[in-house]
Amino acid sequence: MQFFLQTIWFVPLYALMGAVLTIPWSPGIIRRTGPRPAGYINLLMTFIGFSHGIIALQATWNQPAQQIIIPWLQVANLDISLPLEISPITVGAMVLVTGMNLLAQIYAVGYMEMDWGWARFYSLLALFECGICALALCNSLFFSYVILEILTLGTYLLVGLWFSQPLVVTGARDAFLTKRVGDLVLLMGVLALFSLTGTWNYWELSDWAATAHPDPKVITLVTLALIAGPMGKCAQFPLHLWLDEAMEGPLPSTILRNSVVVATGAWVLIKLEPILSLSPITMSALVLIGAVTAVGGSCIAIAQIDVKRALSYSVSAYMGLVFIAVGTGQNDAALLLVLTHAVAMGLLVMSVGGIIWNNITQDLTQMGGLWSRRPISALAFLGGTAALIGCPPFGSFWALLNLADTLWAVQPWLVGLVLLVNALTAFSLVRIFSLIFGGKPKQMTVRSPEALWLLVLPMTLLLGFTLHLPLVLESVALLPNWVNLNKDVAMLLFWSSVFGCTLSGVIYLGNALPKPVQLPSKALQNLFAYDFYTPDIYRFSIVFAVDRVSKIVAWVDRFIVDGAVNLVGLASILGGESLKYSTSGQSQFYALTILIGISIIGAFLSFPHWSAYNNVFNFGL
Amino acid sequence: MQLEYFLLVAAALFCIGIFGLITSRNAVRVLMSIELLLNAVNLNLMAFSNYLDAQEIKGQVFTVFVLTVAAAEAAVGLAIVLTIYRNRDTVDMEQFNLLKW
Repeated sequence: MQFFLQTIWFVPLYALMGAVLTIPWSPGIIRRTGPRPAGYINLLMTFIGFSHGIIALQATWNQPAQQIIIPWLQVANLDISLPLEISPITVGAMVLVTGMNLLAQIYAVGYMEMDWGWARFYSLLALFECGICALALCNSLFFSYVILEILTLGTYLLVGLWFSQPLVVTGARDAFLTKRVGDLVLLMGVLALFSLTGTWNYWELSDWAATAHPDPKVITLVTLALIAGPMGKCAQFPLHLWLDEAMEGPLPSTILRNSVVVATGAWVLIKLEPILSLSPITMSALVLIGAVTAVGGSCIAIAQIDVKRALSYSVSAYMGLVFIAVGTGQNDAALLLVLTHAVAMGLLVMSVGGIIWNNITQDLTQMGGLWSRRPISALAFLGGTAALIGCPPFGSFWALLNLADTLWAVQPWLVGLVLLVNALTAFSLVRIFSLIFGGKPKQMTVRSPEALWLLVLPMTLLLGFTLHLPLVLESVALLPNWVNLNKDVAMLLFWSSVFGCTLSGVIYLGNALPKPVQLPSKALQNLFAYDFYTPDIYRFSIVFAVDRVSKIVAWVDRFIVDGAVNLVGLASILGGESLKYSTSGQSQFYALTILIGISIIGAFLSFPHWSAYNNVFNFGL
Repeated sequence: MQLEYFLLVAAALFCIGIFGLITSRNAVRVLMSIELLLNAVNLNLMAFSNYLDAQEIKGQVFTVFVLTVAAAEAAVGLAIVLTIYRNRDTVDMEQFNLLKW
């Protein structure tokens, strides 16, 4: 057992090995056998990693956290070592990641049936697994940043898997650039933090933060930079558009992205909480960003007609709740929320993916009436919904309760916000459920068999785990103590879910309102449907400014810098071209030139003597 | 009589020669101007030899050499002019501007 615990850092390496071993099945290398072995190798590797993690998790349970330090680089007096934290939380996170990836990969075996790009797809999935496991394990802000950047590149490649589609290319571009901007600002924070603390180790940072009294302005700026990275990673306002566009990528990767990848930012944020709490302004900014994203994201999710996008905005909203939790110093609630959100959202995406897989359309307005023919998917969706919103006794209820309970004491208005987000998400998810599974079958869903076992198996496994999650949490004593709980908050949370679900059910399952539902204000509906016109905001602010400045700079370079240098050449050419006429071809002219030259030289040479010989040439006049 | 007057006459002669050298259109007259130049030089040499070096009169020796070289040069010059005339049927200097830029 201890052996498995000490070698826990093999887990990212298994995935990395899978990523490398996959490559030979690219269509250009092994031309005859087809791409399937790529997927099987990765499944095997992920399974090994998962098993290793499970064994190590048992070994690490109730043990104090240990640290393994791997030297990486020593230059001058800078020592960059890679510290690995082995604690129940990190190993648990790795088990969650490998488990989710295992399910997503089984799912992908079914979903990617008609696709040739398994090698690329599976190696990128494995890269993600490797990256997130390494992120969970590494105990250094610097290496967290390194991994976040690698994952940003991974997102670019994975979203851009089917690069022959134009929307995929723009989506991958936005996903890369938006996350990159956040990461770059994070890098500024990371570098500035080192000069303050002299370390990047999370434990040492936390020790430093316990006693430090840095300049408030400096620490505010540094911490604001530090939250910018997670802001982009977690698709928070205003860096949220990429997650919407990343829904162009293949669906199995969406399972991973929506549940785990966006949580990488939250993970770093949670680990940085001791530093962030040094600056009250940053904590308020975190709460503000989280609040705006949570409410905005849930409202946008309700107005979407693309089912994947409707889910992706719920992801943003829940990550906003994580931001609020971190912003009010509740790391435990944030971690619990990340866990429960990951399994619930994974389940929702899996269920929806199965529907998309054989109904082709993603348009909610073209679906309906699948309840009787797709019971497993429907139940999985319901299970995911129950586990995501505050519905006792399922997972997120406890996380939200944990969050709201503490908020009740410090900032009661945030409890109202959590309730609102919960109700809106409940409304949104029940709306998706009603539109897909309720009502009458539409043209696209008239014939819709239940999906392949490869899609249903991971879905049901995850459904089972989601339903068991409260029991798991209870067995590891992660549930809040019922006696100390604020039962008013619990009831409020429950009623907000009931309210959201009922309202949505009445609207979309009842016949009282004409479908598609129109808000009284068309402008408001469009505002949400087009996610506050974020693409236009980007285009008219940052993109416009950068585009204009680059055009101006390119113009300056082409015409002024290049022009100045070219002018030298042109002047030389013109000089040569015009001065050649001095070679007139007339020997008499040459004679004249010689004469003039001699006269001038003579005049110069004799000039000092002119006054001396003045009298000589005076002829006595 | 002073040295300067000889020198001035020689300089005047030289300048006249230069003027002729540069402005003449006839190639033969250019050669004649060159003869004027050489004679101006000879006048200088003779004057210097007379006034400054009356003992060894090296200037006069130089003059003899210049005269002989000038004769040879005039002969070659005329030969060149004749050759050009054979080819181009003219001795106008302004027609001889083929070797320009």
